[in-house]
Amino acid sequence: MMKSAEVLRLEQVFKSFPATLRGGPPIQILEGIDLSLERSSSIAITGNSGSGKSTLLQISAGLMQCDSGRVWFEEQEISALGDDKLSQLRSHSMGFIFQNSLLLDDFTALENVQIPSMIAGKSEKQAKVLAMEMLTTVGMQDRLHHTSDQLSGGERQRVAIARALVNAPSVIFADEPTGSLDEQNASLVEDLLFSLVQQQQVALMLITHNYSFAQRCDVVYHLHDRKVEVSS
Amino acid sequence: MKQPLFALLVKRKLGFGANRAAKRRILFNLLLITLVVSALVFAQMFVVSMSRGIADKYALLGNGHLQVHTTEPVDLSRYRAVIDVQKVGQSYALIYSPSANRMVRLKGVQDSYFSELRKEQLTMGEPYVQSESNLPQILLSTTLAKTLDVQIGDRVALMLVSQSSIRPQLCIVQNLYDSGYQELDANLVFSNYELMARLFQGKEETYYELLVEGDALEQTKRELKADGYAVTSWDEENYAVATNLNTSRQAVLGVMVAVAILCGYFISELSRELVEDDKYKIAMLTLLGATKRIIRRSYFSTVMVVTLVSVLLGTLLGMAFALNLSPLLSSIAARSIPSLAYYLLDFSIVIPWLDILIITLVLVGVSVISVLFSLRRVARIEPISCAHFD
Repeated sequence: MMKSAEVLRLEQVFKSFPATLRGGPPIQILEGIDLSLERSSSIAITGNSGSGKSTLLQISAGLMQCDSGRVWFEEQEISALGDDKLSQLRSHSMGFIFQNSLLLDDFTALENVQIPSMIAGKSEKQAKVLAMEMLTTVGMQDRLHHTSDQLSGGERQRVAIARALVNAPSVIFADEPTGSLDEQNASLVEDLLFSLVQQQQVALMLITHNYSFAQRCDVVYHLHDRKVEVSS
Repeated sequence: MKQPLFALLVKRKLGFGANRAAKRRILFNLLLITLVVSALVFAQMFVVSMSRGIADKYALLGNGHLQVHTTEPVDLSRYRAVIDVQKVGQSYALIYSPSANRMVRLKGVQDSYFSELRKEQLTMGEPYVQSESNLPQILLSTTLAKTLDVQIGDRVALMLVSQSSIRPQLCIVQNLYDSGYQELDANLVFSNYELMARLFQGKEETYYELLVEGDALEQTKRELKADGYAVTSWDEENYAVATNLNTSRQAVLGVMVAVAILCGYFISELSRELVEDDKYKIAMLTLLGATKRIIRRSYFSTVMVVTLVSVLLGTLLGMAFALNLSPLLSSIAARSIPSLAYYLLDFSIVIPWLDILIITLVLVGVSVISVLFSLRRVARIEPISCAHFD
């Protein structure tokens, strides 16, 4: 069971993948992972490429099923939820930021941020107001009507941050959010992400290679040899 | 229901505010379906109109809608739906000209026979003005005149065959008519009813030809039969022609429905294409919390809007083409193209609403089922797969 302060809890999570598409002995990725994330706190997961960081994030967010173990999110066991409940949970309580901003390319920045609110049931007008506020917060008020291909990498990532936060989720799942940006832009996005997470009191689960970025989180876990350990 | 999101997705998929490629794809599919539907509607209207035109020719010039077989004087105009009653005599004769001969159906009619309704079905030449000759006059078709190589005012001989004798009768070609359908008029000769009675001396077949209002044929036939009359309808008198027309019409409708089914299936290809191209977007939307149901509905609605608009436009376009066909057909008919000689080119266009409804409903029905079927693939798109596309 979850403690009252916890928003996310993983208990003895195991995950393996088949070695090849044709089968063969499975490759164990995660082994007995125990992890928790408290409200308004942040954790970072570091590790080498292929160590299973992204898999861990996806299992935590209910985007992938684990082989065994339990994942609790806001006092609900994710693996027991149906598609509609999971959609509802993603819409209201989770925000996602990926390495590549993954904006919807035939929608403007404003529409990209508007859509999550509309999915959550807000009217177009309400969603527009919220989206404009959020884009202003991330400094994109002058790029409201630009489509994805008219924005720079840093700008796209700022739109992605606004989109992740617009429904005031309880957790942001960020997978290498600065991985594709140059140093200057990466630093800007880092600052923006942490300031907004603190300001809006949102929990953050951050996957990164960048140790200095990870260190800005409350707890840093290192994923090594299929297990996580708290990094010193 | 997330109506604003649904509306936004449908609008964008339909090309409003979308990029040029998306607009082009929707327009291309819209155009393609419109063209197919318009061709189907046009072809069905053409075939139905032509077969009705042929049926009309047979009914108006051949035998009337109904035939009451009696020689007694009767008042048949008292029946509600009857619009014209003509006493007619008919027999068969050999017609001779100096250069050819032919077996013809000789039909004796009264002056009132060629009413406005019948004249609409005919093109007549300038009648022969009789001078000193007292020979009986007959009316030939232009087709028969061409076969016999005679003109208005020329003489021809009728070889009248009865059970007891064979005797010739010289006649003058009083005028030429053209029904527009050579199959019918190639052997149909009109003469005066009294002449017919005189020539055949009661050996001719006499009956009453009735024209009735379009939808009252069967009812009137029943009423006449109930009153003890021996009645036949035009399709019984011309059984082979009527059966052929009916079978052709049904066969063509069957082909049109088959094409509509194929077109309906093609429409599901549009939805498949949209989903394949939008896999990333669908994954992204589900990652943001949109349910598969609302995504499927938005794609279904998009495809159905394209389908319904195309069907409507195609139907209107097909009808517009068909309704403006008469001048084109007339000009083709006027050119007397030999290969089209036995086709009816002079007919009025009717709108077969039921056939059009069947074709469009089949098309829409098949597309609904096949699109729903093809949209099952949306369920297989995992939200996290959006991260694999970049």
